[in-house]
Amino acid sequence: MTVDQDRTGVTTEELSALASEALHHTERSRMVRVGDHLKREWQLYVLLLPTIIWLLVFLYKPMYGLQIAFKDYSVFRGVANSPWIGLEHFHTLFGNDQFLRALKNTVLISIYSLMFGFPVPIILALMFNEILNEKFKKFSQTIVYLPHFISSVIIAGIVITAFSPSAGIVNTVMGWFGVDSIYFLTKPEWFRPIFVGTTIWQEAGFQSIVYLAAIAGVSPTLYESAVVDGATRWQMMWKITIPSIMPTIIIMLIIRIGNMLEVSFEMIILLYQPATYQTADVVNTFIYRQGVQGGQYDMAAAAGLFNAVVAFVLVMTANTISKRYSRTSLW
Amino acid sequence: MSGVSLRNIVKRYGAVQVVHGIDLDVEEKEFVVLVGPSGCGKSTVLRMIAGLEEISDGDLSIDGRQVNRVAPKDRDVAMVFQNYALYPHLNVADNIAFGLRIRKEPKDKIAASIKEVGEILGLTPYLERKPSDLSGGQRLRVAMGRAIVRRPKVFLFDEPLSNLDAKLRTQMRAEIKRLHKRLGATSIYVTHDQVEAMTLADRIVVLHDGRIEQIGTPMELFLNPANAFVAGFLGSPPMNQILAKVGTGASGPVAEIGGQKLPLANLPDLQNSVGREVIVGIRPEFANVATEGMPGQINITLELVETLGSEALLHATLGGDPFVIRTDTLGKLRTLDAVTGFTIKPELIKVFDGKSGMALAGQVRKE
Repeated sequence: MTVDQDRTGVTTEELSALASEALHHTERSRMVRVGDHLKREWQLYVLLLPTIIWLLVFLYKPMYGLQIAFKDYSVFRGVANSPWIGLEHFHTLFGNDQFLRALKNTVLISIYSLMFGFPVPIILALMFNEILNEKFKKFSQTIVYLPHFISSVIIAGIVITAFSPSAGIVNTVMGWFGVDSIYFLTKPEWFRPIFVGTTIWQEAGFQSIVYLAAIAGVSPTLYESAVVDGATRWQMMWKITIPSIMPTIIIMLIIRIGNMLEVSFEMIILLYQPATYQTADVVNTFIYRQGVQGGQYDMAAAAGLFNAVVAFVLVMTANTISKRYSRTSLW
Repeated sequence: MSGVSLRNIVKRYGAVQVVHGIDLDVEEKEFVVLVGPSGCGKSTVLRMIAGLEEISDGDLSIDGRQVNRVAPKDRDVAMVFQNYALYPHLNVADNIAFGLRIRKEPKDKIAASIKEVGEILGLTPYLERKPSDLSGGQRLRVAMGRAIVRRPKVFLFDEPLSNLDAKLRTQMRAEIKRLHKRLGATSIYVTHDQVEAMTLADRIVVLHDGRIEQIGTPMELFLNPANAFVAGFLGSPPMNQILAKVGTGASGPVAEIGGQKLPLANLPDLQNSVGREVIVGIRPEFANVATEGMPGQINITLELVETLGSEALLHATLGGDPFVIRTDTLGKLRTLDAVTGFTIKPELIKVFDGKSGMALAGQVRKE
């Protein structure tokens, strides 16, 4: 047997044995380190446990059921015993006008929410940051955060009342200017603006907390330095605050894009009615009607899976673009 | 004239007064260092000069103009911050140009200024880099670049070297000194490091609890501290301070320390002062080591010898108080363990009042 030798006289076999031993040793020492860490910080891992269990039970275990999107599912035969039918449900879905309409509405509502809803929390945070009177700042923050803590049912009730043609404040104010009453919630053309406006009102304040926290993390000396240089508050906002919180804005945008097709299901259900399906019916409400009300679980699973795949592609794309151009990314 | 004048400057935060009537005149082109322990008010004074803190009372003038109510941008000062305050999203060139762009200077002037400052500070190869890609020393240079690019009347430095390691600090200290010589700008520099103060300053202002303890050149303060605080703050290691009582010796007053008599200079304040409590101050480098049997020595109990290379620090006790001697090691390193005491010329000993801590009159030493 010929054995290679390097200049030090060590054979290749010996080298490989040494390397394997070193690798084994490194592996063992890493295991020991992990073990030591677990032993030392076990309380932290116990705190993490409920979240992991929640994820496994509610997000990972149901993935098993995803297979019914490719099966002719029967409740009596169960998930495992229902026959495979390939992509038939997807073919049906894409031939279904109601699904295509729901998909179009989902995309449009998502785009409007992103366009109008995404900048609002940032603007709010920037405005809060400029309020110098602490009492007024706290008061206005409380007012703006409040709708987030109100149940969607009540929010929808407020919206329905506000836009009511007989006693709603919107129509009352319009009446002062001689404008005829409009039954907004039965008009398809008004659904999207009302829905987007409502979700902005409900969530923008709460979402601004993330940006306020990011602003709080900006070193005060950056502002002091700018003050000495002669910058106005407006210039400081544009040249320091916004660029400093840009990584947070990008991360939030990626997350938002990932959740783009997850249009607020409860709010749509609460606000829409057959008269507005044309613009209000989204994929999630379609799934609800098909799956829960119509009993077509396999078709609903196919629609849901499609939604998830699109969201996955969107978040991956946004993350990759952001990583390439701004050096900020989720992972 | 681009001097800075502080007259009875006071700072209060609510009911708490932190700066108590500071009077200081900084001459044009002078490099003045405000030094003192943490919380002495030195940064507050600097921030009041910059306009970042309101002045509660007193007058502040820059270049002969009262600026108490003048906005920071109109005071014509530039400040280098402790953490450099570089904008992380801007590259070096844009950081340097920030102040000029804010003031809407012409583009060609900005470009020329960036080039010039880059050359002065050796930043030309790094102009396109972001601050996160720079070393600590380079970041400090950028911060200085941002200050000098505007050609202000007064430069303010707030502990700019405190985030650097010891080696880089020494290097950057020299660079700041060189830059000051080159630009000749009026500079006020805050530090808690007495070595920085001694090496950089034309004049040092020692602050303690919001009050000025002493103002003078580094050597004036080193040789003639006005009180025990200044004596203990400047010098490394600091001056030994031993509580003693005045007695009489064969040739004049002595300090009685643990049954030993240390001859003192014949100061007017020590005449007819037998029994008066004083603080005897001895610089570690002024004491000469003595071994067993040497005449006229004051005995000490040696505890530790720290060898630093060309010199050594002898840690001992005298009358129960810690006592340090700094000595050469050349030719006597092996004998240092046998040191039993020290000798010192009486005129090299500082005597402070035991109660007020103020230096007794008549002790002025020339450099």
